[in-house]
Amino acid sequence: MSAILFAMLRMTAPLILAATGGIISQQAGMINVALEGLMLIGAFAGVLIAYYAQSAWVGALAAVATGALFAGLLALAVLGLRANLIVAGLALNLLVLGLTRYLLQILFATRGAFAPERLPGLGTLEIPALQGFPILGDIILGHSPLVYFSWILALLSAFFLNHTPEGLRLRAVGENEEAARSLGVPVNRVRALALVASGCLAGLAGVQLSLGNLQLFFENMTNGRGFIALAAIYFGQARPALTLLACLLFGLFEAIQIRLQTRVGIPPQWPQMLPFILVILVLAGVSMHRRARRMFF
Amino acid sequence: MIRAMAFRNLQEVARFVITLGVALILGAIIIQLSGREASAAYRALFESALGSRLALADSLAVSTPLILTGLATAVAFRTGVFNVGVEGSLYMGAFAAAWVGFTWPNTPSGLLIPAAILAGGLAGSLWGLIPGTLKAWLDVDEIVTTIMMNYIAVSFTSYLVNYPFAVPGLANAMSPMVPSSIHLPRLLPPSQLHAGFILALLCALGVGVLFSRTTWGFEFNLQGSNPIFARWAGVRSPRVILTAMGLSGFLGGLAGAFQILGVHYRFIANFSPGYGYDGIAIALLGRTTAFGTLVGALLFGALRNGASGLELFAGIPLELVRILEAVIILMVTAEATIRLKGKKIPISVEREG
Amino acid sequence: MAYLEMRGITKRFPGVIANDHVDFSVEEGEIHALVGENGAGKTTLMRILYGLESPDEGIIRLGGRAVRIPNPQAAIRLGIGMVHQHFQLVPSFTALENIVLNREPRRGPLLDRQHARCALETLIERLGLEVDLGARISELSVGERQRVEILKLLYRNARLIILDEPTTVLTPQETHALFAMLRRLKEEGRTIIFISHRLSEVMEIADRVTVLRRGRVVGVRSVASTDERELARMMVGEVAAIARQACRSLENAPPALIVRDVTLAEIPGRLSLKGLSFEVRRGEILGVAGVEGNGQQELVELLAGLRFPQKGQILLDGKDITFMDVRGRRRHGLAVIPPDRLQEGLSLPAPVWANLIATRYHLPPFSHLGLLNRALIRSYAAQLIQKFEVMVPSIDAPALALSGGNLQRLIIAREVSTPPRVLIAAHPTRGLDMRATQAIRKLLLELAGQGTAVLLISTDIDELLALSDRLLVLHRGEIVGFLPISQADPESLGLLMAGRRLERRG
Repeated sequence: MSAILFAMLRMTAPLILAATGGIISQQAGMINVALEGLMLIGAFAGVLIAYYAQSAWVGALAAVATGALFAGLLALAVLGLRANLIVAGLALNLLVLGLTRYLLQILFATRGAFAPERLPGLGTLEIPALQGFPILGDIILGHSPLVYFSWILALLSAFFLNHTPEGLRLRAVGENEEAARSLGVPVNRVRALALVASGCLAGLAGVQLSLGNLQLFFENMTNGRGFIALAAIYFGQARPALTLLACLLFGLFEAIQIRLQTRVGIPPQWPQMLPFILVILVLAGVSMHRRARRMFF
Repeated sequence: MIRAMAFRNLQEVARFVITLGVALILGAIIIQLSGREASAAYRALFESALGSRLALADSLAVSTPLILTGLATAVAFRTGVFNVGVEGSLYMGAFAAAWVGFTWPNTPSGLLIPAAILAGGLAGSLWGLIPGTLKAWLDVDEIVTTIMMNYIAVSFTSYLVNYPFAVPGLANAMSPMVPSSIHLPRLLPPSQLHAGFILALLCALGVGVLFSRTTWGFEFNLQGSNPIFARWAGVRSPRVILTAMGLSGFLGGLAGAFQILGVHYRFIANFSPGYGYDGIAIALLGRTTAFGTLVGALLFGALRNGASGLELFAGIPLELVRILEAVIILMVTAEATIRLKGKKIPISVEREG
Repeated sequence: MAYLEMRGITKRFPGVIANDHVDFSVEEGEIHALVGENGAGKTTLMRILYGLESPDEGIIRLGGRAVRIPNPQAAIRLGIGMVHQHFQLVPSFTALENIVLNREPRRGPLLDRQHARCALETLIERLGLEVDLGARISELSVGERQRVEILKLLYRNARLIILDEPTTVLTPQETHALFAMLRRLKEEGRTIIFISHRLSEVMEIADRVTVLRRGRVVGVRSVASTDERELARMMVGEVAAIARQACRSLENAPPALIVRDVTLAEIPGRLSLKGLSFEVRRGEILGVAGVEGNGQQELVELLAGLRFPQKGQILLDGKDITFMDVRGRRRHGLAVIPPDRLQEGLSLPAPVWANLIATRYHLPPFSHLGLLNRALIRSYAAQLIQKFEVMVPSIDAPALALSGGNLQRLIIAREVSTPPRVLIAAHPTRGLDMRATQAIRKLLLELAGQGTAVLLISTDIDELLALSDRLLVLHRGEIVGFLPISQADPESLGLLMAGRRLERRG
């Protein structure tokens, strides 16, 4: 049992990071369907730079920077060139997929996976104070630092959105652009920064995937996690607490996938599909609720 | 209405050429940076794509599913529905066609082929009607729901061929083969070009006629160009949205069905390299017209087909083509947005006080 | 020398002159009312003052110095604040958050809500503005929201405050509270510009009044030296002698449209309609008068079939169409010229021929078995544009290529090509030049002469007086008066529209 929860925490970390980034851009009114691509390029950049610099932390920084860069490109296309946010986001996903495969081949002459021997990982964090704890200890201890960091970031972002002036302005831009503009808030700048922030966090999510547990990169290693993060955001209606819950839930699904299959014989595809089915149900439910309220006026 | 948006004037063609040009230039830069030679690369690409009859035939074969996914997306976009879920319809249609094939292998092909094709179309259609209904009746945003449906479809079909319909003894996740009697005939062996291409062309023709000459097409255009006015004019918007999504899903399902019946001859999990998503780019490139979509699909088909030549003869990973495609998509959406939703409406001077 | 001087302000929009060499001046510390009908140019003038529009000609002087106001930020910096008719508030934020947005007090990286609260509470107490700062906007009443908007600009130290139609959305009690607060602001030395239609309120609160009509200043009066009747007369003008057909005897004509005790529920952002009852006889033009925003939009949507009533009945030539959809109503002879020409009456990207058959494409002879008869459609379109004199580059040109007048002709061509039984014409000549206006009015009279029952909704009193056989006046979603044309004069009409009830004469 505690093994499952341990795995769950590990698997939730990239989701939490990506979803936190996604919430920030969503609250600014920019739905980010490129989380998948941003995670992937972060994973790749992280491995690449960690390899050359022989330091996982430099790799992590590179992942953040790369995520920021690509998100910046997206912001440029959408806010500067008036590209459609969804199409441009999907294009970015395709671009990253192709680019990572291309570079893998060009740089390392390999297709599939890049798992060199001397690739440093993020390591694990031990918290001496909690060492002896009976059940909780097994679950919480021994994770990559990013796992803990993801929780901290999730909290910080909720704090940022609700208790800082910048967070207030960001939310105003997302909810009523006109009102914000009429008071002097630089709407486009806020939106661009929100996208870049989501890129940073998604990049971090990616490097957790590639360096956090095992140390390798293989093509398309994100495998839809960016969209699961998006699903979590819609499930949680872009609210940090609910979205976190959704991430935990979806991470749990992922963690028990193998066990469900071997123990109970449930095919792994079912827990895979579940997040997406749940989101559709939630969206339908929310719409029905909204309709019902309007009918009564 | 097709005339208002067609490739008629020089400006459109120029735009198309510029988009392609910029993408190629960017690609050339990437190639040079990778230490290879751009001109050799592009020559190899061209040769592989269009250099011989067989190459051309293969390019057409690759473009077959793209024609259909492009049409599928175009139909939805015209109606103002942002359907990102053609990929899901493609998977469901592919499986349905395979299923019909391997479940009743002894049925005469004259019956089985149309049945399989129809099953594919219907499966795709039903798949598209789920988010379609949510939008038409509950006003649920279709972008997120259709993306989710894609992932559900891929997982679900993967489940189907790994469990209930798994073939014992096979490592890969595949369904049983469909009977050879219903393999779509090859048009130019040994190339991959199959009769599905002809059918796809017919679909393009059909959609073109639909858009310009039918009441359905008129409604799609009206609903998409101004949904508010459509309501005031008496158009039954929910019905129109549902029809559009149903048709869009049907075409997506056909795309999958033709791939199975013409190329793979069985359902293989995760077989699609993103045909559905490419359909979005192609529909935008073709300004949601049937003819434009056809041209766009042929272009992407040629690019894809040429990619292997790029690798074999110029030593450049074929993923470069993906990168080119992504750049094309980005450029297309940068100027397409203003047209697509028809939002160039002057601010009303009416409400003056 | 006046505190605010706007001199020679001219603003043109396509097809209409919103402000025509307007001179407007306001003394410091006064409450100055700006009145006029819809389309008179009041809001445009104030939008120019607040930096949302730029004038084509004219200058603005504030405190003696010429100023440029290119955007709202500049206006805010000059101490100008505006409360718009449609509030600019973020629904899920609290009142406090809306007020301090982009000028938030901070403690380090944090939003200092406490500090904000203190500052605002001082303001609130001083001015008697009761607002629960911690409540979300979505929970607040309209009156409370308005107070939030006012606090927004007081927080930014606005010395010149513009209020655009502030009382239209308030109850009498809230209006009372608003006026008390305005007086207190005046005592503090602030200057207030008050746009309104409600002459009784203007007389109550303002020091001076400027009356606008058709983009021009008609006159400036001090409230002490004038009365409501004079103001109404200035707003509405003398009735132009428009050639009318001899009074037609319509008493025996059967009613074509009957609306019986209809109630339409309120939905967010919209008014409700309460207990409407009226009839339009065949061949009659029933004018619906009223200030914009008093239920006209809701009435048109109801009659057109876009919304269904919670109570009551609608009958067309005896047939119950209360719950019939748009297509059904059109099939029974209803035609509609919608209030918002560009969004509701046309599809701008679509070609002219498509707009012309948008209501009929599914019917024979235009289509048969699902296929459009293109040749027929095109020749029909060509006929229509000739008959109704619509100037188009070609029938394939998109509608957005047409001028305002031609767009309206296009809509009319579509709606009346087959004479309808009932025509709902909402603001048919708004924003059009004289020639187009006359042509459309002539057309409406002809249609009535041929037996069409016309419901004419308009904010142009001249038009209503010239065309209608009878009038009804809408106010806050209710009918406040019926007037046969012989008994209608600009004064009483103006008063009715402004909120004073007359005895019902239906």
